[in-house]
Amino acid sequence: MVIKIIQMVIYPIIAFIIGIFFMGLFRKIIARIHRRYGPPLLQPLIDIIRFFSQKGISHGSLFTLGMILSLAGSLVVLLFIPFGKICPLQNSGGLLVVLYLLLFAPIGIALSGGEAANPNISIGISRKLILALGYEVPFILIILSVMVHYRTISFAEIVKLQQSDTWAIFKWPLVLPGIAYLLILPAMMGMRPFDVAMAPQEIASGPIIEYGGKYLALYHIEHAFSVFITTAIFVDLFLGGGVNIGFFFVKMCVVFILVSFVNGIFPRYRIEQAVKYLWRWPALISFVGLILVKISGR
Amino acid sequence: MNVEFYLKLLLVVAFGSAFLIYLIGKISSALRDLLAVVTSLVVLVVVSYLYGKSGKVIYCENFLGVPLILRLNMLSWFFSISIAFVGLLSIIFSLSYIRERENTDFYYLMMLLVNAGMLGIVLSGDLVSFYIFWEIMSWSAFLLISYNKGPALAAGIKYIIMSIIGSVCMLVVILSLYANYGTLIIAELVPFIRSSSHGYVLFLLILLFVTFGVKNAVWPFHSWLPPAHSEAPSPFSAVLSGILVRMGMYGFVLVFFTLVGLKLFLSLESNSFHYILAWIGAINIVIPTFIAMLQNDSKRLLAWHGVGQGGYIFLGVVLGSSLSVAGGIFHLINYTSYIALLFLVVGAVEYRTKGIRDLNSLGGLIKKMPITFIGALVGTCGLIGIPLTSGFVSKWLIYKALILEGYPFLAFAALIGTWGTILSLYKFLHNMFLGQLPERFENVKEAPFDMQLPILIYSLIIILFGILPGIPLKIINAIDTSFGFESLNVNIWGIGSETGVLNAVNIFTASIVAIIVVWLIFKSGQKVVLVAQDSNYAAGAYIPKDKYHYTVEFYKPLYRMITPYLRDFVDEFYMKLAGWTQKLCYGVRRVYTGDVGYYVIYIILFLAILILIKVGLKPW
Repeated sequence: MVIKIIQMVIYPIIAFIIGIFFMGLFRKIIARIHRRYGPPLLQPLIDIIRFFSQKGISHGSLFTLGMILSLAGSLVVLLFIPFGKICPLQNSGGLLVVLYLLLFAPIGIALSGGEAANPNISIGISRKLILALGYEVPFILIILSVMVHYRTISFAEIVKLQQSDTWAIFKWPLVLPGIAYLLILPAMMGMRPFDVAMAPQEIASGPIIEYGGKYLALYHIEHAFSVFITTAIFVDLFLGGGVNIGFFFVKMCVVFILVSFVNGIFPRYRIEQAVKYLWRWPALISFVGLILVKISGR
Repeated sequence: MNVEFYLKLLLVVAFGSAFLIYLIGKISSALRDLLAVVTSLVVLVVVSYLYGKSGKVIYCENFLGVPLILRLNMLSWFFSISIAFVGLLSIIFSLSYIRERENTDFYYLMMLLVNAGMLGIVLSGDLVSFYIFWEIMSWSAFLLISYNKGPALAAGIKYIIMSIIGSVCMLVVILSLYANYGTLIIAELVPFIRSSSHGYVLFLLILLFVTFGVKNAVWPFHSWLPPAHSEAPSPFSAVLSGILVRMGMYGFVLVFFTLVGLKLFLSLESNSFHYILAWIGAINIVIPTFIAMLQNDSKRLLAWHGVGQGGYIFLGVVLGSSLSVAGGIFHLINYTSYIALLFLVVGAVEYRTKGIRDLNSLGGLIKKMPITFIGALVGTCGLIGIPLTSGFVSKWLIYKALILEGYPFLAFAALIGTWGTILSLYKFLHNMFLGQLPERFENVKEAPFDMQLPILIYSLIIILFGILPGIPLKIINAIDTSFGFESLNVNIWGIGSETGVLNAVNIFTASIVAIIVVWLIFKSGQKVVLVAQDSNYAAGAYIPKDKYHYTVEFYKPLYRMITPYLRDFVDEFYMKLAGWTQKLCYGVRRVYTGDVGYYVIYIILFLAILILIKVGLKPW
């Protein structure tokens, strides 16, 4: 019990550190691809501290509440995701709960932004939701094929089964969902070519345009967590999790750097193009994958 | 006092109060309002007193040669309490909503009659009473749907025509059963039906699929529902969508598991019958939730979700495993609470904005109607199935059953339906309560207390059942085991089993702690300034007073992509059929003009032809 509580306290802190590190790394990688020097690795952390010390504006109680809900949602999701051997809430609902808890963060921001009547926000949210519908189609198929293959809805169980066998991505019928997942990862992280929701050059960062001061700080913390969560889910589902935190971190780095490269070289899709792409290739591949998993499971 | 007495009392109070209130309304409207609430409360109290009891009573020895029976068991109690509860809250909500309208006495009469009819249905122990109460419910519902006249009348007619087709199917079933077995008492029919041939059972089930499918709005019989729900008065929409439509589901449960029995039901058509039904359920989830995204009328949007969520319930029930049936029935009661809540929310907004339901012209009402907004938020969260609302638990049960029974494609349909729900309900919430407040709603007030009360009660229930799902699941588990399923491992905090555990209390505690932590972090920062909605956007510049916010055609890129695929082919077919029938009738009317002269000519012509034949062909 005590160990569990200690894990619950330490896990979000480590996740935050890793998330912030990835955010810094991301800016560094993009800068090097652009042949710039780039900001220091700790720049995101410095930014967050600075935002906390600055004044911000608010539009009402939902504006605050939505932001808090969004970050709290991310914190709760963390506790369901196996990180090395740590998974504090592994016996409270499994993968299906994660699928739903992931909704808290975007819906919190959507509600919060809704209270400000800024068209850039509502355009951004509308795009974000459409994009989410786009990547959820393949994502649900992928998650279903993993759950059907291992015959369990428990996240920790899936990781354990992979560690006693091989990684899911190297296992025959699960290869296809694994590839599809790699294709949708940038969309799930909101990176180019799928950064339609933020699109700084078009709608001035969309949903977060009204945030300033500590709202922006909270948003950046939330972003750090969501970077961690999305990468960690992929590592857990397809790369066999980690025997310990170290291995897990190395795997996460590989996945994240890969996605950053994609971000560095592709221009932005329009929202229709993004959804069409997501519903065509990743959805098709994962659909075929699910059929194969279903057949081979008999 | 025994159960028999209370069962009779229940029906007497329910039906008696309806007519009594109509008469009293002629004398004093205040007394009528009071009495309507009190009698509904009495019904609720009596029903809750009957918890856990069972019994039956013959209330009419000989009705055309058959006895009429009332009976109570866990299943009927479960539905009775929902009916009594939704009925009471809708009556309370109606007090202000309907006060300034005409024909209020008639409205209350029909409202109470609908509730009484539904109580009769779930309590009846033989098919004749079932049919009688079914018709009482259907017809009073028709009168309430068309209460607003105009387009409401057309919607009502669409509803009643489909409903009559369903009733005729049920009548055929009843006659056939009586001709074959000589009894219509449900308990006595069970052994007969279970020993009859598969073909006959299938015949009965398909006919009853039409009856209950029309009421439950199962595809392809759904097309009456969207217009009927959107045109009915809002408190009745809550009853209609929340519980009346689900009487069809009660019928399905009764027929599948009580009458036909689990074993026979699952083995029909070499185990594939329930699988086909499950796919109908899946279609029912996906298409309506995506059509809901395209709607601009707030009530019509909710109505399409009524069809969509019905798909989840239907899917859960027909899958016929212990988990899925529990999930289906649990989803039914959750659905009741949140769709009723959302219709009441729309009703409150409609009441305060003088009848505006158009999502494109509303907005920003959170500042004016905060309590109503809380109701809307909880309701939408429940409908989406966000954790910590009851909708999540029931959906979790259905998904888990689908995945573990090996139906990943059905699970995919169910999960993607959730995303359709999120998109359309965010639009609902955003376009009504968030964003820019139009100038003409500057003076809108919060809904009156008797409207807030039902909204708050429903919200509390949704959250309570989401955190402690064990309360309703215990009852549902009892129903489940009475059908012959194995008992589920239900605790107060959720469900435990070997293949996956759900612990809602853990999720709740974690969320509360997380929210507190984040709030503390938030508090530690610098102070914030509360500014007007447009101050940052305009940055000090002048903004025209008109609408500048983006809400119209909220998902336009998506509309362009999916609209061509989302035509309601079934409805188009029905409307064509109706058109042809109308043309045929017009044709007939041209012949039967009603003018005596024409009829004389017809007779003479007929005689002339007869004479011609006689003379010319000499056949005789």
